[in-house]
Amino acid sequence: MSGSILVIGATGSIGGAIASHLPTDGFEVTLSGRSAEKLNILSIDGAEQKIVADLSTEEGRQALVASSPELDGVVFAAGVAPLAPVRYLKEVDLEACFQLNACMPLLLVRDLLKAKKINKGASIVFLSSVSASKGAVGYAAYSGSKAALEASARCLAVELAPKGIRVNCIAPGMVESDMSDGFAENASADALEAHAKAYPLGVGRPQDVVGAVSFLLSDASRWITGVTLPVDGGFTI
Amino acid sequence: MSLTQFIEDFEEAVEDVEAGTLNGATNYRQLEPWDSLAVLTVIAMLDADYGVRLKADDLKSCETLEALYALVQTKVSS
Repeated sequence: MSGSILVIGATGSIGGAIASHLPTDGFEVTLSGRSAEKLNILSIDGAEQKIVADLSTEEGRQALVASSPELDGVVFAAGVAPLAPVRYLKEVDLEACFQLNACMPLLLVRDLLKAKKINKGASIVFLSSVSASKGAVGYAAYSGSKAALEASARCLAVELAPKGIRVNCIAPGMVESDMSDGFAENASADALEAHAKAYPLGVGRPQDVVGAVSFLLSDASRWITGVTLPVDGGFTI
Repeated sequence: MSLTQFIEDFEEAVEDVEAGTLNGATNYRQLEPWDSLAVLTVIAMLDADYGVRLKADDLKSCETLEALYALVQTKVSS
């Protein structure tokens, strides 16, 4: 495998695991994250470039696009998951969740396409979630944002197919990550244990997600576009 | 913020608790409706209404509503 891949959200648990793995499959990676401190301590062999950018702003996106090389693939692994029953859902959290999880990926793809930074035949992979298709208490904002992302990805897949650019989503279940740590802080031990039992193959690790991402970036998936691939240990069976 | 208002907010969050039946000495963790959803909801209520972010472990560290109220007050003032 080969090609230049931009990983957005490389400082998160899953994004970091993806960024670490892709060079071992032959990809060159450019890493992007919001925190310079976290990005600078990432030590990944084969990482060509690190770009600090706050993608919630127009300026941040433009800075990333200007610094980015021409790309054969983009992975979006940034996200937030506010946890609250709708009765106590804060408007600011709802808006931030949709902005980062659903709007930012589309706006960044738009800006990269306009700047002609995405090569013909490239592959775009969005990190969605099992929450997009399965209801869970407290996850209305997060689930809605990921469902929106998946719907947008299908439209984008159709729009970009004439250029041979493929667009797919990965829908992980609960993996041991920054985001699930947030869930653990808000959930009782009983609720956590009950949730973990819903995974026939057990709760996953960030490393369990990277193989599927690499596959969707590679030519091995050249006839696959517009799909959402569950990577969830059997949670959605 | 007063203890009375705090208890009213708690009752509204937990639901299935008859308004006015709880007081500062109530051991909220032994209430029948106290389950994982109640934990999640009270944490979200405290964030939305009081600007205080507690964890599930914080709720386990107190027994009475008065103690929980005191904990919330320390977070509000800090």
